[in-house]
Amino acid sequence: MLVDMKNIVKSFGSNHVLKDVSFTIKGGEICALLGENGAGKSTLMNILGGVFKQDSGSISVDGELVEFNVPADSQKAGIAFIHQELNLINDLPIYENMFLGREKKTKRGSLNLNGMVEETEQMFKRMNVELDPKRMVRELDASYKQIVEICRAMMTNASIIIMDEPTTSLTEQETARVFEMMKKLKDENVGIIFISHKLNEVLEVCDRYVVLRDGSLVAEGNVNVVTTNDLARFMVGYDVRTESLRREKHLGEEIIRVEDLSSNSRFRDISFSIRAGEIVGVTGLLGDGRSELFQAIFGAEPVTSGKIFLNGDQVKIRSTTQAIVEGIAYLPRNRKENGIIKDLNIIENASIVTWSRFSKRGVINSRKHEAVYEEQRKSLRIKMDKHTDRITSLSGGNQQKVVLAKWLAANPKLLILDNPTQGVDVGAKEDIYDIILKLADEDIAIVVLSSEAQEIIRLCDRAIVMYHGVIQGEMAGELMNEHTIMNLATGGVLTKEGREIH
Amino acid sequence: MKFLTWFKTKWKNEPLFSTAIALIIMIILQTFVLGFDYDSFGSWFESWTNNWINILRNNAGIGIIALGMTFVIMTGGIDLAVGSTLVATGAFTMILLDTGTKGILGMLGMTGIPAFILTIIIVLILGYLLGALIGVTITKGNVPPFIVTLGAMLIFRSVTQHFMQGYNPKVPMEFLEIASFRFGNYMIMPIIYWAVIAYILYYVSKRTTFGRQIIAVGSNERAAKLSGVNVNKVKLRVYALMGLLVSIAAIIQVSRVGSMDFSNAGRGMEMDAIAAAVVGGTSMAGGRGFILGTVYGMLIIAVMNNLLNLFGVPPFLREAFKGLIVIGAVLLQRKEKTS
Repeated sequence: MLVDMKNIVKSFGSNHVLKDVSFTIKGGEICALLGENGAGKSTLMNILGGVFKQDSGSISVDGELVEFNVPADSQKAGIAFIHQELNLINDLPIYENMFLGREKKTKRGSLNLNGMVEETEQMFKRMNVELDPKRMVRELDASYKQIVEICRAMMTNASIIIMDEPTTSLTEQETARVFEMMKKLKDENVGIIFISHKLNEVLEVCDRYVVLRDGSLVAEGNVNVVTTNDLARFMVGYDVRTESLRREKHLGEEIIRVEDLSSNSRFRDISFSIRAGEIVGVTGLLGDGRSELFQAIFGAEPVTSGKIFLNGDQVKIRSTTQAIVEGIAYLPRNRKENGIIKDLNIIENASIVTWSRFSKRGVINSRKHEAVYEEQRKSLRIKMDKHTDRITSLSGGNQQKVVLAKWLAANPKLLILDNPTQGVDVGAKEDIYDIILKLADEDIAIVVLSSEAQEIIRLCDRAIVMYHGVIQGEMAGELMNEHTIMNLATGGVLTKEGREIH
Repeated sequence: MKFLTWFKTKWKNEPLFSTAIALIIMIILQTFVLGFDYDSFGSWFESWTNNWINILRNNAGIGIIALGMTFVIMTGGIDLAVGSTLVATGAFTMILLDTGTKGILGMLGMTGIPAFILTIIIVLILGYLLGALIGVTITKGNVPPFIVTLGAMLIFRSVTQHFMQGYNPKVPMEFLEIASFRFGNYMIMPIIYWAVIAYILYYVSKRTTFGRQIIAVGSNERAAKLSGVNVNKVKLRVYALMGLLVSIAAIIQVSRVGSMDFSNAGRGMEMDAIAAAVVGGTSMAGGRGFILGTVYGMLIIAVMNNLLNLFGVPPFLREAFKGLIVIGAVLLQRKEKTS
């Protein structure tokens, strides 16, 4: 099958999202669709998926012109769109999810459960998936959910599958599982459009790449002749740094020391200390407990035993409010669920932590906090129109900077950043790294939690790797490389000489 | 043309614009239905004003409760117990003030203004505590607000009815001045209470940390908690405030008529309060709500009732119109949201 999108133009009001883009995909190839947030990738795919209608331009399938007015048209043509937010119902078993909206019925009109289970089993066998169709979707990890979605697409005889950032929330192991699946699909002559921000994954799994920037196609070709640097340059239009960002460091006093901290089964016997001006990376695979650990230090989760010292004094942190008073800030992962409050505007989101400082007996002095925010907006380079605009009107990168701004307004001594560059485009990522380095220079102790080893290596002075709730190893300097991190994250150990044993 | 574009942008961007327009249209309609068949402008104006004072006074109590309900709904909760809390605090007011042999303050030898002031203070505290009790159960017990307030609704009324069985307290006539004091010919005290409380709560919602925290909690509880907002404290205070406002409404009601029907007073009040908030643009999902909108919503429903009365629509059909208004208002607000 061959899908050919020609001269697609699409505008939303005065915003020209796609300016004359042509894109082809054929069966049996994996094509990466790259671009920064706002480059037009999603719009292009939504047109292909029948969600939006193009202003001009044509789509043809196997040489025949087609019109996609609603998603069902596109599905009928054999195109499946797997959205970033998966469309699975957690409280139904796998097999019912597989047949959602086109359930098999018996003659009497009730659900044909056995038939659905059988067909699901056959599909899993064909795709080499070892899953019990009767399990509830809630119990599956993110990669298997992705796989169930893919199998569902295959069940509808899809010949082209669009995957929108399928690996964003996956660990490296889970990613590998999804990639295996993608290769299998390729062998079955299915074409895949792979949207991702992770460039090394693109090189690993894709055949071809297409890069969009500001609504135009700026580069395309075969991946075997490019490097991640090239791709990043195509995306942002200038060279992107990949060198280590570690700098001359002037470490100050110890800010936090944690001794034998445990919380039921989530993490155990955690001990470490961090000094002023230090950037410490904490990484691991899914289930490593790093988020839970630092949320507990921030007072958002319970601790069962162990001690926390701040500036040498032992503290017991019972609530997030208290943590903030003690000088701890925590920028959460999953910005949409934990970071932003969509019913508050930009400046209110930026000042929620510090309201008490800008108010007298509960009455907010807005002039005072506008002044503080204006200063921050400049130093963080937040791109926005009016500070009373909705937070959701900003791009992902700018939203993240606003969330960062709210914490910086609190003047923290310890800043915990949980996946700070999640869902942020390459340009904004570098901005955020710059900000983090600057903050370290201002003698703030910084913890960066990340699932991207590359991020830890570039940014941090020291890395702690966690595995199933314990600290598996700690390293700095030369030892801090992707191989060692991966080894520790999967349960390997470091010997005294620094050699690892698996 | 210029007006049209101005109107369109306002309609799209100002959440309360369509509600205000709806209210104005209803007021104009009502003015026409009342007619202009008078000797002079003066007598027309007096009749028009009297009609309005009646509308506002009759809705002051429920209007005050709807304001509190707005905050409750904005946190993502609901309070079904307002009607029962009204009866409980109303009954308590009457027991305290009873001029008969069982009157508590009377037994202690307190009468007149000091007794009134003490009664008001005690009843306000009681309302606040009943609300706080609901709030504690919701936050500490981690029980959904719908369940807790459903239970409280049954408990408060049943207990009140049991203890007030066969007991008919008499409220001193002077106490009735609280609601019935006249400025010239106008009995507007309840309206003043409503207006003052609406202004205070409007200010709270717009300019205080508490008001912003209510939105944060309702919009994204997890994010609010991770931003150091004491989510439980905010919720507790919202329910306690609700109880306090209900007790104010109870005092107004007792002082208007001097008695209360404990088995029927306040029944369905929670739904009227919710309806006013929803018509005023408050989202049942939490996070989005407007104090001013609730005042508009209350007035729209009140004016509509007045109109139905003037048109002579049969009483049993009136609730249907209320239902239509509620659904219609939300349909109108729908298209503002999606832009």
